[in-house]
Amino acid sequence: MSVIGTSLDRTRDVDLVMGRGRFVADVDRPGQLFARVVRSPLARAALGGVRTEAALARKGVAAVVTARDVPDVRIPIRLPFATTPNAERVLQPLLARDYVRYVGEPVAVIVAEDPWLAEDAAELVELDLDFGLESAAVDLVAAASDASPLVHPALGSNVIDTLPVFCGDVEGAFAEAEVVVRRRLTVGRHTAVPMETRGLVAEHDPATGRLTVWGAAKVKHFNRGVIAALLGLDPEAVRLVEVDVGGGFGVRGELYPEDVLVPFLALTLGRPVKWIEDRAEHLVATNHAREQVHDIAVAARADGTLLAFEDTAWCDQGAYVRTQGLLPAILPGAHLPGPYVWHAFSVTSHAVLTNRTPVGTYRGPGMTEATFVRERMLDLVAAELGRDPIDLRRRNLVPADRMPFTYDLGPEAPPLVYGSGDFPGFFERMLDEAGLDDLKELRSAGRKSDERIGIGVAAMVELGGIGPFEEASLEACPDGTVVVRAGVASLGQGIETALAQIAADGLGVEVGRVVVHHHDTDDVESGFGSFASRSAVVAGNAVAVAARALRERAGETLGVDAAEVDGERDFETLVSVGEMRGRFDKEHPSFSFGAALSVVAVSSETGRVTPLRHVVVQDVGRAVNPALVHGQLAGAAAQGIAGALLEELPYDEDGNPLAVSLADYAMPTMSEVPPIDTVAIESAVPDNPLGLKGAGEGGIGTAPAAVANAVADALGPAGVAVDRIPLTPARVRTMLRDVEGR
Amino acid sequence: MKLPPFAYVRARTVDEALALLGEAGEGAKLLAGGQSLVPVLAYRLFRPTHLVDVDSVTGLDGIAVGNGALEIGALVRHARLERARFDGAHRLLALAASHIGHVPIRARGTLGGSLAHADPAAELPVAALALDARVVARSSRGEREVAVGRFLLGPFTTALEPDEMVVALRVPPAAPGSHAGFREFAVRSGDFALASAGVVVACDEQGAVTSARIVVGGVEPVPRRMSDAEDVLIGELLRADTIAAVAGAASVSCEAVGDRNVDADTRRDLVAALVRAALIDVQAEVAA
Repeated sequence: MSVIGTSLDRTRDVDLVMGRGRFVADVDRPGQLFARVVRSPLARAALGGVRTEAALARKGVAAVVTARDVPDVRIPIRLPFATTPNAERVLQPLLARDYVRYVGEPVAVIVAEDPWLAEDAAELVELDLDFGLESAAVDLVAAASDASPLVHPALGSNVIDTLPVFCGDVEGAFAEAEVVVRRRLTVGRHTAVPMETRGLVAEHDPATGRLTVWGAAKVKHFNRGVIAALLGLDPEAVRLVEVDVGGGFGVRGELYPEDVLVPFLALTLGRPVKWIEDRAEHLVATNHAREQVHDIAVAARADGTLLAFEDTAWCDQGAYVRTQGLLPAILPGAHLPGPYVWHAFSVTSHAVLTNRTPVGTYRGPGMTEATFVRERMLDLVAAELGRDPIDLRRRNLVPADRMPFTYDLGPEAPPLVYGSGDFPGFFERMLDEAGLDDLKELRSAGRKSDERIGIGVAAMVELGGIGPFEEASLEACPDGTVVVRAGVASLGQGIETALAQIAADGLGVEVGRVVVHHHDTDDVESGFGSFASRSAVVAGNAVAVAARALRERAGETLGVDAAEVDGERDFETLVSVGEMRGRFDKEHPSFSFGAALSVVAVSSETGRVTPLRHVVVQDVGRAVNPALVHGQLAGAAAQGIAGALLEELPYDEDGNPLAVSLADYAMPTMSEVPPIDTVAIESAVPDNPLGLKGAGEGGIGTAPAAVANAVADALGPAGVAVDRIPLTPARVRTMLRDVEGR
Repeated sequence: MKLPPFAYVRARTVDEALALLGEAGEGAKLLAGGQSLVPVLAYRLFRPTHLVDVDSVTGLDGIAVGNGALEIGALVRHARLERARFDGAHRLLALAASHIGHVPIRARGTLGGSLAHADPAAELPVAALALDARVVARSSRGEREVAVGRFLLGPFTTALEPDEMVVALRVPPAAPGSHAGFREFAVRSGDFALASAGVVVACDEQGAVTSARIVVGGVEPVPRRMSDAEDVLIGELLRADTIAAVAGAASVSCEAVGDRNVDADTRRDLVAALVRAALIDVQAEVAA
C-alpha cells in the first residue's frame, strides 16, 4: 500500500506538544539588543519631526532611529501580476516620512539592552504631529469619493485603480431577466491573528560579511532578495532561517518594514538585534484583510436559471499597498462567478486607500469575500422567486460534462478555466453527508421555541495550487536517511509530513527515513514559498519528479527497470546515485470545488447565533494525508465561522482602532466552534502527475456565506436584512427588532 | 506590553500589607490574583509606583459559616467559590463565580480583587449586592464594614481609602426558602458580560414570593437593584406571565448605556432576557 493516502502524524507533533518547539522568541544570540518600534498614535497627521534626545539619554538605550537614519526605500510588491504604476506610488517606507497615515505606522525604532528598557524609552520619543489636519479617511466607500481627505495627496485620489472584469453580454442578459435582485453587501475588516506574533532576530558576522535573520516564514527566498537589495548587500550574503512558526494564514512571513529595519539595525550597530511583536502591535501592524463593500445586481429567469450579475466593489487597501499589491481588489473578479453557469457578468473593483492598517491577504483571500457576496445573493434570488435555495444551486452548477469549463475574460485578462470536477455530484455528496432531511426536521422543531434554527449552504471554486514552479532535491544518505530539500515553508500545516510521504512513495522507502529540509536559504537554493494552497501541489510534484529521477538512475545502475527498484532493498544503490533534482512547472492554477452547509440557532431574545453544525466538502484531487487535509478543512472552517460571527477590526471615526487586544478581537474558543464534518473528495485531476488540488482555503471560503445564509434562514422574513458579516448579537438583534417593529 | 516600572514588595500578613500600603502612599496598588491588574499594566494604562503583593498573605482565604451568615476571606479564589456547597440563596456566589473568565482566571482571581476593582461588568459585585452583603475594609486605622451598595461608587471606583484593603465579604443568612439565579450574556464564553442578572427570591410554602432582590450588572456604571421589578414579583407566584412582567419591568427601569459592543436598546433587551432566564432557574428550583 502506498504511503500516500495514509494519515500519518505530523513529524513535528511530539516536539510541539512537549514544548520542545523552537520559535523565534526562543532564538537568542550573544550580545543581542532588543528593538521596540515607536508607532503613530494618529491616523492622519503631518509629521513635523521626531525628538529622540530623551529616549537616547536613557541608560541602556543603544540607538534610536527615525526616517532620516534609515534607507529611503519602499517595501516592494511581491506578486508581479498584482501591481500597477499607481500602486507603486503608494508603497510603504521603512519609517514614516513627513506624514503618518494609520495608527500603528512605524515612526522610530528604539534599540536597548532589554525589552523593558526599550519600551520605557519608546514612551520618551516625542512626535511633532500636526493635529490640525482635516479628518482621516476611514469609511471605505466615503474614502473613494471626491470629497474625502486623501491618504496620499500626491495620488490625487484614494482610489488607486479601478479594475474591470467583463464576460459576455451583460446588458443583453439583464434585458432577458424576469427577476433582478440588487443589494449592498459588506464584509467586515478582520484578519488572521496567528497565535504566534511576528518576530525577528538578525545578526551580522563581520568576519564573513554575512547577515543571518531568524523568524522568516512563508516566502523566505523572495524576502532574502529584497532585504539584500534594500540594504545594498549581495543576496548570497543574506541568510534567512525559518524556525517553528505558530501560524501564518497569509499574513505572517510577508515582508514588512520591520523585516528590513531589524537587519539594518544589526548591520549598523554591529550587534544582534531581536524584535518580538507584541499582541497590541500585532493588531495594528500586521496585515488586516477582507473589508469590502459590493453593490451587486443578479439577473435570473423565473424558473431559477441564473443569467448575469453586475458588481461594483470597493476593496480596502488600508494606508499603503503592501507586498500583495492590489490583490485584494483583483481577486473578486476571479471569484465572483464561482461554480455556476452565467451567461455574462461584470465586476468593477475599486482599490481604495483608507487611513487604517494596510491590507494583505488572509487565508482564502478574495474567494471568501466573493463567495459571501454571491451565495448571499443566490439565497436572496431564491427568496424573491419563492424557490428553494438548494434547488436554485442544483439548477445552475456547472455540469460535469462541460469540463473543462472556461470563462473568457477578454483579451486583457487570462481566462478562468475550471479544469475538472463534478460540481453537482460533489454538492449532493455534501447534502448527503449533512443529512439534509433530518436537518429540515430539526429546523421545524426549533422554530416553535425562542431558538430559531436555520440551515444555509454555499459553494465556491477555489483558485489555488498556483505556480510558476518549485524545485526539489532528493538525496539518499549513507546514514540511512533520505533528505528532501524544497523551497516551501511550514506554517503548522504539516507540509514536511506530506512531502516526506510523497518522497517515500516515490522511492519505495520507509517514510521514517525521510527528513525534509526547507528552513534555511543556505540549505535550499530557491523556492517561491507557501501560499495559495500551492505547497503540496507544486512542491509535492517537484519531489515526485526528483524521486522518479533518482529511481531511474538507480535502475540504470542496477540494470533493471526503474519500477523494479525497491528503495529499501536497493538503498545503497540510491546512496550511490547522489542528489537528484526535480522541478515542476505549473502554468495554470487549479480550480477546486468546495461547499459547506451550516446549521445555526438564533436566539430571538438576544440575537446570539450559535453554530450547531458545519459540514465542509472540498475537491482535493487526492489526499496525501487525510488527517492533514481534515485539519486544513476544519481549521479553515473554524476561522470562517469566526469571520461570520465574531471577528472584526472596527475603527472610530477618527481612525482609532477599537480592537487592540484579544479581549476586543473576538477569536473563537472551542466553546464557539461547532462540530465540523469534513469530506475530502478525491477526483481525477489531469494537470499534475500526483493528481493533487489545494486543500488549505476551501474550508474558510464557504464558511461565512453558509453561516450567513443559515442565520438569514433562521430569521425568516427578517432574514433579507442579513447583508454583512460579522453577524454579532447586536446586529442580529437589531435586524429582529426592525421586523418586530419595536 | 512589558509592564511599566514599579517597586514591588510582598506582604506576609495583613498588618504588613497595610503598613507597606501606608508607607508607599497614594501611588501604591495591591496585587492579589492579578487577573485584572496585570493586563492593565501590560497595556500601560495604569502606572502604580508600588505594587504590594498580598497574594500569599495568610488568614484571608477562609469561608466561615456562623448562624447562617458567611464570612468569606478576600483571597478566596473564584474557583473555590464556584465549587463551594452553599445553601439556598448563597448559591448565587457559586453561580456568579462560574461565569468569570476562564479556568485559569478563576484559579487565580480573588473575591477581594473583584470587589476592589469594581469593573461594571464583574459578576461577584452583582452577587454581593443581591445578597445584601457588606465589605469588610481594614487599614492601620482600624476596620469598617460598608454595604456593597455604598461600596461600589462607579466604574473602577469604590469607597476604599488609599490605605485600606478589602479583607472579607460578610453575607447575611439566607432567608428560609430562598433560591438564587444568575445569568449573563457575553459574546464568547468567558468574555466580559454585556449584561448580567443576579436574583435572590424567597417563597412561602404556597410558592408566593415573600422577598426578592433583583440586581442587574454590566448595564449601568455600577450594579443596581431593580426595585420596580422586585415590586412586581412580591406576593406573586413564579408563573410565566409574572416572570415576563418582572423581566419587562427590569428592562424598562434600567438605565442602559450603549457602547461599541451593543447599543442601549439591545442591552435593555438583554436585561429582559437575563432576568427572565434567572427567574426561570429559580422557578425550576422551587418546583423541584
